Amino acid sequence: MTEAQVLKPQKTWSHLAARRRKPSEYEIVSANLHYNDRDPNAPYELSPGLFMNEWYKKHTFGTALKHADWNAFRDPEEVVYRTYNLMQDGQETYVTGLFDQFNQREHDKAIDPRWAGTLARLYTPARYLFHTLQMASAYVGQVSPASTITNCNYFQMADSLRWLSHTAYRTRELSNTFNETGFGLDERRYWEEDAAWQGFRELMERALTVWDWGEAIVVLNLIAKPAIEETVLRRLGESARHNGDMLLALLTDAQLIDSARHRRWIAAFVRMALETPGNLELIQGWIAKWEPLADKAIDAYCGALPDVSEAAASARAATRDFRRSLGL
Amino acid sequence: MAVLNRMDWYDLARTTNWTPKYVTEDELFPPMLSGEFGLPLSAWEKYDEPYKQTYPEYVKVQREKDAGAYSVKAALERSRIFENADPGWKSVMKAHYGAIARGEYAAASAEARMMRFSKAPGMRNMATLGCMDEIRHGQMQLYFPHEHVSKDRQMDWAFKAYDTNEWAMIAARHFFDDIMMTRDAISVSIMLTFSFETGFTNMQFLGLAADAAEAGDHTFANLISSIQTDESRHAQIGGPALKVLIENGHKAEAQKRVDIAVWGAWKLFSVLTGPIMDYYTPLAHRKQSFKEFMEEWIVAQFERALTDMGLDLPWYWDIFLKDISQTHHGMHLGSYFWRPTLWWNPAAGVTPDERTWLEEKYPGWNDTWGQCWDVFIDNVVDGNMAMTYPETLPYVCNMCQLPILGTPGKGWNVKDYPLEYNGRLYHFGSEVDRWVFEQDPERYAGHLSIVDRFLAGMIQPMNLEGALAYMNLAPGEMGDDAHNYAWAEVYRALRETRKAG
Repeated sequence: MTEAQVLKPQKTWSHLAARRRKPSEYEIVSANLHYNDRDPNAPYELSPGLFMNEWYKKHTFGTALKHADWNAFRDPEEVVYRTYNLMQDGQETYVTGLFDQFNQREHDKAIDPRWAGTLARLYTPARYLFHTLQMASAYVGQVSPASTITNCNYFQMADSLRWLSHTAYRTRELSNTFNETGFGLDERRYWEEDAAWQGFRELMERALTVWDWGEAIVVLNLIAKPAIEETVLRRLGESARHNGDMLLALLTDAQLIDSARHRRWIAAFVRMALETPGNLELIQGWIAKWEPLADKAIDAYCGALPDVSEAAASARAATRDFRRSLGL
Repeated sequence: MAVLNRMDWYDLARTTNWTPKYVTEDELFPPMLSGEFGLPLSAWEKYDEPYKQTYPEYVKVQREKDAGAYSVKAALERSRIFENADPGWKSVMKAHYGAIARGEYAAASAEARMMRFSKAPGMRNMATLGCMDEIRHGQMQLYFPHEHVSKDRQMDWAFKAYDTNEWAMIAARHFFDDIMMTRDAISVSIMLTFSFETGFTNMQFLGLAADAAEAGDHTFANLISSIQTDESRHAQIGGPALKVLIENGHKAEAQKRVDIAVWGAWKLFSVLTGPIMDYYTPLAHRKQSFKEFMEEWIVAQFERALTDMGLDLPWYWDIFLKDISQTHHGMHLGSYFWRPTLWWNPAAGVTPDERTWLEEKYPGWNDTWGQCWDVFIDNVVDGNMAMTYPETLPYVCNMCQLPILGTPGKGWNVKDYPLEYNGRLYHFGSEVDRWVFEQDPERYAGHLSIVDRFLAGMIQPMNLEGALAYMNLAPGEMGDDAHNYAWAEVYRALRETRKAG
């Protein structure tokens, strides 16, 4: 061996050492973790033509949404596993406290049977919808080209399970009080057949089959989630308030805290994506393609919320305001 | 009662299958991603995970676990454990973090594959938690070694290893990519969670935690045992899937996946764990030999797991049982001889006392492995250090990507198992490695081993120096003897005594 320079230890990982700033815990444990970008011909250490290698070459690295260095993406809140659990354990303590206290006050017994009927039709079937968000976030995460983007999607997936869990919990509780209303039994039928849900069902079934990573992250986070959050969380929460169901109103408010966090990371993502010429038009094209389906879903669902004035119009406007705030 | 019990609502949280209408079931769950078993959604709804946990329980329990592990780390941060640890133990840490940390993070995506594409609703939720677990394991096992990067350049490999062409990392990626990154959801559940995690890592982590405690590294011991407690939650994912497959007449396909994954896991263990237990760990701290460990924790445990499940022992079980007293000795000799190609410093582990122990645990060791080490030791004592380093690459197996080895010396049985496929000659280190290839040649046929790359001129210059550069290893990173050949002093003294006598 020739006398080469002997590498000296550095203060941090070699891939972070060039910068002047001391890396945060977030960067130490989150940045540049995917290794499937090392060989463009074979993301995984097997035959280059293997089905899954072709899948990643086409859908992850072959997307039209381009950036010279997606690994430079940073979650604005720098969430790591450790802080995620600190944060959500606190949030769950709050929600469990709500469940506990409202139950002690016999909240459900005070619910008008007509509102209980609305809950059976428009609230509890949302566990299917929340589960589709969980699935879609899991997909976008596994095909994202940078670990910092993947992580945001995986935490979002866990939050979707959280919303699903709240819904399952409340469904059982409601069934204890309203045992004739079909709580726990009829949700699948409502989800599959009720006109109010068909827009979201079509949107999510189609969104779940978008394999291209660039389009999938846009459809999920800029189209589907805002539409769902502005209706099944925000407008339904308003309706709940109008109908004396403070528990659901406070619960949807609590879930909207997660949603606000999701919007902050996707906003940072869009800001980064727009650094590359051509991405703006590309994203706008995807929005134009998917917005009508989301609008249809908003209309169908909000049409069943008569006591929220202008529900559909305000929900549609809110989704557009959000996108406009990102420069889209 | 004011708050419901978990089991009052648990089933509702996994009643999430519906009949798609705007896309077909095959579009929503493409068979190549979901599993080509031809079973409809309804068949998978019988899936029932034995270890149940809800979201609120998860964040609470995991928050507490992290609080424990991170506070132990913080409390011991200034204790200079790293500076004072036995060099053999430091090598264990370096090998472990490099080969494992980012593999654990990758496993989060394997879990996400099951979350999105499994038709079993219970599996989808458990895989959501499993995905979170693997993020934890990836992040912790980067955060903990990062504490030591400023002391030792080799610690940088806790992060860097997965980005390199270092041979052991090619082997690690080849195995993990095969069982978890490029398989459908159901196959991931069988090959990663059932075969690898239930069969191997669960037990390995227990052993490693015990070793760390013996070595006085309580931060690491605590980290590893904390991680291990998560394993049992997500390692269970494959079991109920196997049950569904067997009940629906797919036992043979299930069995084949188990057989492939277990063999690959064994080969990786033979190079990563075997040498650590029988050579790197100081003699005083060795509780049992690698062979005894395998027999007690892996063989017995796994045989039970398989038969409980209604599966058979893999067809190669006799070969495996024989190999557990041989293979890792060759892997150790090979990796030690090629020590500049490692990112840690291997411990030779062949002092007279250690050789007595090896002979006792592995009768015949001195007549076989010992013969190679005799020559090696003479060269070190004679100061012929150049003779103790390699000049070429060893032949490696086109399946496990590890050197093709056998028993040397008086027990010589080194054998290649070649196969010609589509005009190319492949080499395999065992009958089983070749069998794995034959089960699905197109998965593997287009891959080039590091020797194939060398022979194809992809490594320049075509010598060891070129190979080291190709493996991204520079001086300061390359491995050498963990104890700086201090062990050779015993032999030098023995020789002096002999001369004097």
